Amino acid sequence: MKKVLTLVLLLAVAAVVAAPAVAQEGTLDKIKRTGVLTIGTRTGSPPFAYVDKQNNWVGFTIDLVEQFVVPSISKEVGKPVKLEKKESTPPTRIPLLTSNAVDLIAGTMTDTPQRRESVDFSLTFFYTGAQLLVKHGSPIKSVNDLAGKRVAAQQGATNAKIIREKFPQVQLREFPDQPAAFQALVQGQVDAYTNDGIQLYGLKAKAPKPDDWDVVGDFYSEEPYGMAMRKGDAKFKAAVDAGLKQALESGKYFDVYEKWFGAKSEVPYPMTPQVKTYLLKQVGK
Amino acid sequence: MLWSGQSGNWLLQGLITTLELSALAWLLAVFLGILAGALRTVPFAPLRAIAVFYVEFFRNVPLLVWMFFWYFGVPPLLPRGVQDWLFNHGAEFWAAMFALAVYTGARMSEVIRAGILSIPRTQFEASVAIGLTTWQAYRLIILPVALRLIVPPMTNESLNLLKNSSVALTISVAELTFQTRQIETYTAKAIEALTAGTLIYLVLCLCIATVMGRLERRFAIPGLISRVDAG
Repeated sequence: MKKVLTLVLLLAVAAVVAAPAVAQEGTLDKIKRTGVLTIGTRTGSPPFAYVDKQNNWVGFTIDLVEQFVVPSISKEVGKPVKLEKKESTPPTRIPLLTSNAVDLIAGTMTDTPQRRESVDFSLTFFYTGAQLLVKHGSPIKSVNDLAGKRVAAQQGATNAKIIREKFPQVQLREFPDQPAAFQALVQGQVDAYTNDGIQLYGLKAKAPKPDDWDVVGDFYSEEPYGMAMRKGDAKFKAAVDAGLKQALESGKYFDVYEKWFGAKSEVPYPMTPQVKTYLLKQVGK
Repeated sequence: MLWSGQSGNWLLQGLITTLELSALAWLLAVFLGILAGALRTVPFAPLRAIAVFYVEFFRNVPLLVWMFFWYFGVPPLLPRGVQDWLFNHGAEFWAAMFALAVYTGARMSEVIRAGILSIPRTQFEASVAIGLTTWQAYRLIILPVALRLIVPPMTNESLNLLKNSSVALTISVAELTFQTRQIETYTAKAIEALTAGTLIYLVLCLCIATVMGRLERRFAIPGLISRVDAG
């Protein structure tokens, strides 16, 4: 009996010791072996990542990955790398990453201290803050008008957390995705929908009658978007950051920004000088 | 560490919501199930047709669609004032409860119908022969026997109902699965939160299965159900 127990214990210990050794193949090694970089991104978050009318999966974040991150990784592994895209929503993105289903989350994920405990973030590639979307003519002008009101938010988003903590009088309704939350706003289930400002401008632009909707209030949170990767993979992070750094230093980043957020784009979102300074400071400029 | 502080509190709240939602939906579903199941076997065609329509319509549309239907589809039919009142008083919860109950009721009714059909036709005929009306025959003879026979498949449906209640998170009901995701958002500890949620569902389901097992033994009609392991 004792022998059997010892054996079982030994096996258990062996499994625990061996498991990380097997799982710890670096992301770059994996990409080198497979020739594929798999990103988790969005299908319904224009203009960052969405499926357009021609049924192409495109967007600002996807452009950044294709034009800067993929070349940088290709250089690092010494062979051309193919890009593969998978759908990832806020509730699924971290599990997708930790289970190795994707290598990089490139969508609209905010870089927060809590998330940094589980994943690593790239350089910030976009900067926004939470605002409110309301029906045109609504009495709600900022977060301070929300007491007692019904407010929709997206499950897993950082701004839901802020509303809950700082404005406990608000009746918060959390929906799994943007279309459901917007539907609730359209039908009057909620009085306002809160999300990152840029998301709301995107929704307004896509709405059947954009003039029916207003984006109101100052940023009540800071939302720096980063690309997330598995924690502790310094080599992979360096390769991703090198790509973004090159984009910012060369100024090509701003061309891509202009394409998606410029005056002629579908969702004009001019970059403020503060945001520009913030982005460039990351590369020491 | 998930059982303490904020996360533990959320799990508990989620658990309570899941239990409330499931319990209310179960009561309504059993009622609808018995009603529709019985109506499908009565000797009166229009009533049978109504029951067939209910069952086929509701069980053949995905639960998710029903959730959206009760939450997004029904309120616009009501006057504006009623809508506002509802939205301020937990419309999501009641929409989810109805969706779950009506959907599960349709599934349960098939189980109940099977139970009724397993009773020899002669019992019904004998009841009518001793002067009972159809209603009395069902209430006093057919249903009491049928309900005893169908405990095992009903256990199955009840467990499904509990687990299906997680679909309510799509219309913003803060039930157990919603809370595990919430914990994941705040702490980014996805695996721990999922494990906690899974364990709670498992324990709940085992409890239900045990209770139903007891019920089955307690009300078994000697000779009708013979359990090898009865005792």
